[in-house]
Amino acid sequence: MPAIPIIMPQLGESIAEANIIGFLVKPGDVVEAGQDLIEVETNKANMTVTSPCGGQIEKLTAQLNESYPVGAALGQIATTNEEIARLGLEVSTAAKPGDTDRVAKAGNGGQNRVRPTVRGLPVPANAAGASYLSPRLKARMTEMGLSAADLAGVAGSGAAGRVTVEDFEKFIAQLEKQKMSQASTMRVAVADAMRRSWTRPIAHVGMPVCLDPLFAYRKVTRPKPGPALCALRALAVALAENSAPAGRLVGSKIVHPSAIDIGFAVEAEDGVLVPVLRNADKRPLKDLVAPYNELVELARQRKLPPDVTGGSIATVTNFGTFGLEWATPIPLPEQTLVLGMGAARHAPNWDSVKGQFVPIMEANLTLSFDHRVLDGGAAGRLLQRVAALMSKPDTL
Amino acid sequence: MSLTYLEAIREAQARALRDDPRVFIYGQDVGVFGGAHKATKNLAKEFPGRVLDSPISEDAIMGLAVGAAIEGMRPIVEMQFADFSTVGFNQIVNQAATLFWRTNVPCPVTVRLPFGGTSGSGPFHSQCMETVYAHYPGLIVLTPATVEDAYSMLLEAVAINDPVIFCEHKFLYYHLKAEKLPSEALPVGKARIAREGRDMTIVAYSAMVHEALEAAKELAPEGWEVEVVDLRSVKPIDTDTVMASVARTGRLLCVGEAWPWGGVTAEIIARVVSEGYGLLDAPPQRLNAKDTPVPYHPNLWMAHRPTHHAITAAARNLLRK
Amino acid sequence: MLQSVLEPSTAENATLFHETYLAAYRFMLTARLLDDKFAALGRSGRIHGGVFLGRGQEALSAAAGVLLKPGDVFAPLIRDAAGRLAFGETILDAARTYLGSARGPMRGRDGNVHRGRPQEGYLPMISHLGAMISVVNGILFARRFKKISGTIGVASVGDGATSTGAFHEALNQAAVEKLPLVLIVANNQYAYSTPVSRQFACHDLADKAAGYGVEADSVDGTDLNACLETIGRAMTRARAGHGPQLVVATLLRLCGHGEHDPADYVDPKLKNSSLGRDCLKVAEEFLLDRKRLDVAQRGTIREEIIREIEAAIAQAQREPAPDPFSEEWRAIATKHLSETHEES
Repeated sequence: MPAIPIIMPQLGESIAEANIIGFLVKPGDVVEAGQDLIEVETNKANMTVTSPCGGQIEKLTAQLNESYPVGAALGQIATTNEEIARLGLEVSTAAKPGDTDRVAKAGNGGQNRVRPTVRGLPVPANAAGASYLSPRLKARMTEMGLSAADLAGVAGSGAAGRVTVEDFEKFIAQLEKQKMSQASTMRVAVADAMRRSWTRPIAHVGMPVCLDPLFAYRKVTRPKPGPALCALRALAVALAENSAPAGRLVGSKIVHPSAIDIGFAVEAEDGVLVPVLRNADKRPLKDLVAPYNELVELARQRKLPPDVTGGSIATVTNFGTFGLEWATPIPLPEQTLVLGMGAARHAPNWDSVKGQFVPIMEANLTLSFDHRVLDGGAAGRLLQRVAALMSKPDTL
Repeated sequence: MSLTYLEAIREAQARALRDDPRVFIYGQDVGVFGGAHKATKNLAKEFPGRVLDSPISEDAIMGLAVGAAIEGMRPIVEMQFADFSTVGFNQIVNQAATLFWRTNVPCPVTVRLPFGGTSGSGPFHSQCMETVYAHYPGLIVLTPATVEDAYSMLLEAVAINDPVIFCEHKFLYYHLKAEKLPSEALPVGKARIAREGRDMTIVAYSAMVHEALEAAKELAPEGWEVEVVDLRSVKPIDTDTVMASVARTGRLLCVGEAWPWGGVTAEIIARVVSEGYGLLDAPPQRLNAKDTPVPYHPNLWMAHRPTHHAITAAARNLLRK
Repeated sequence: MLQSVLEPSTAENATLFHETYLAAYRFMLTARLLDDKFAALGRSGRIHGGVFLGRGQEALSAAAGVLLKPGDVFAPLIRDAAGRLAFGETILDAARTYLGSARGPMRGRDGNVHRGRPQEGYLPMISHLGAMISVVNGILFARRFKKISGTIGVASVGDGATSTGAFHEALNQAAVEKLPLVLIVANNQYAYSTPVSRQFACHDLADKAAGYGVEADSVDGTDLNACLETIGRAMTRARAGHGPQLVVATLLRLCGHGEHDPADYVDPKLKNSSLGRDCLKVAEEFLLDRKRLDVAQRGTIREEIIREIEAAIAQAQREPAPDPFSEEWRAIATKHLSETHEES
């Protein structure tokens, strides 16, 4: 009887191999086409290898707890010629265990062709595809000071949608027909920073925080800390407790912050400056107010000395000053986190004690983060901690 | 008066014999018989004692030519077929090609090689030899593709003070005709833009230029303007002209009738990639004969070498990249 | 070339003969002493690459060189130090080439015995044996066009070269064209390590001449007298238009193929036979016998030659070696057709 090999299928994009974790059938069993035969584990999920046809399991050559690449032979099913014809299958003859890349065609004079071990890798082997930039295109882009981000809006007419030099020249020609003004140096610098930051997978979480305790605290305190500074201090304390969320991923290593220096965004002319409060975890809230206000003023005047910018491990941005309730800021390219504060507003809050809605002052607190370093859970916990700290401003 | 590529070669030799008493022609059957291809027809009669039959001795033929050159003559050697020049290979590459470098005495020998395939000629009457000769320092290798170039480049070859390997394509002998002989020409060493274009460059030489032009014609109705560069000489290669063409088009296809390993197509691509990487909008491609000896049967022969069909297909592929 | 040493030449053949003999002897001695010098320099590591000597073949070579006339053509081979000197090559040229002086005729681009001055009539050999013969043919062929008559060409080969296709084609070509070529085959019994029994099957290399339709002569290569006579006769016939002349000399190579080769394969019987006698000693004895030379004169000549050689060596050693950075790395004469590759 002819035999069909049981092959490790392509289990998902970027999966190259899978681990055998269980057998659902044994040699001798009669199976149907599509029936689950072998359980495998990939780095994403547990899946099953199903039968290519109806027939009888002749042998299972795969070993438990061994890994096999996509396309490897895991066993053999004896079947009928009708079944083979019906499904249009290839027949294996005397395929040795582990002989993963030679499948001879039976009855064809033993025509031996070496087949690749892994079929249909989604990775392009040659230069094709939407993201390919030819040397000539790169040279032109360099000449014009452009980066791949600038071409985002260009539809490519090349193979698989790549942007060819012709597409590029047409795009430039079109641009030149429109009104153009020179972007400021600040704008270009911010653009570059945002572009670089965006090469990472950025995610956002948010929650409302009650500001009543903070406003009460402010009434009796001098100098008065603003909500954003309060959030900054709370973030510093939370990161001092656990600095991992502010770590940076470089390759396969997490680089931990050495000092809890937190920056805060100040709008200045055509861009954003980020002065830094050093060791914000070691200075109580009341001691931060004056330095904070001074830095804001200096920033607005573009007179920040060099030692107060750079080196921060996270940033706080108060988009609430623009009346925004929520936003999805982008962390600085060298940072993992940016904490955002929305506009304060009156909101109804359910008071379960009173059994009714009571008015409170509320603002949205957001955390935008590099998803390679932390997941939603860790982000949520950090935000919770910040909110909790902000509800007790006198402890900050 | 129209004349063929072959007649142009004959006319050039006649003119060389007439204008310069130092010129003589030496080879097998070149005398009264006029040569196996009739390239020296009537020349023995018109120039008695200057068109001489040799024995079948390619080594001695070349050695004699070198000696004659040392003595101040300007010999034209006709190898009956390029394929037979291998018997004289040693004298060409080790004697003629090294003389100037070793002794400062120039060696003004012109070796005419009837090369390239014609249907039915088989493995030993069809070879393209330009690659092996171009590889050796000390030789100039010419590959005229037109009747006019066959004439003017042969005249210039005889005048050049170095050994020149003059590759005349046997298929073009009778298939190419021109109205008249040129009065002026591009000098040896300069490539010619045989067809101007915009979308891609095909670099070719000798008979393949015509196949490339045919392919360009086929692609024109589809909106593609293909530029064809006729190298004219493969040693030296006019790299500047090739580079300027690729600068205009960004896409390069090299076509050669010789075998794939090494060769003119590989040389062009190596130069363009290393000196003009930033000019390329797509990977450069090449088309050569199959990596087997040249077959005899027309079915096999036609599939063995690049034809305008193959060129068109390769060009379309490149244009779509 | 002829050098009158003893007295002004007269029309007397005997005197002329002795003058020629003495001149040839002097070239033989110079060649031997120069070879010894190169061997010594080679052993002390002052020569880069191979050292190739002509010990044992001086008589044959000097005879050819001394009998050639100005305007003739000579293609010497590996063991023709004596013939080269006799034809006019200077000791300095040899020294410069071996010692790598940029001022040598090959300017460092070729070395050791691969030297010559084509436009002065002696060709620098290429390593492929037999290949130079057709080049000599070409020069003679061209002279016909130029209506130059009365000159001949000598090509020197060994027994090994007679097996090459190049030899065959060239001799045949010379015969067909009836060129005034004198082809001198020095059968020194060995081609590198290959004895003649493995080189050819005919009884005598001179027998080949009939196959080509040319005349041949055999000669004892150790006897300068016989060499002068035989080669002289061959040259006369060639000059008179009899076509190519084959001269096959029998002798024994008295050195290795190169100085790197101890030549243990040489049959001791041959070394001990008359074949193995030293032609230089034979010539000296001849001259001493005939009182054309006495022991004191021999000593004087020897010292003069040694001084000449040492002066040439010293000069060559003082001269600069070729400088790769000021070399024009171009192999063709036509400057505008050479490809310039920008190399870092």
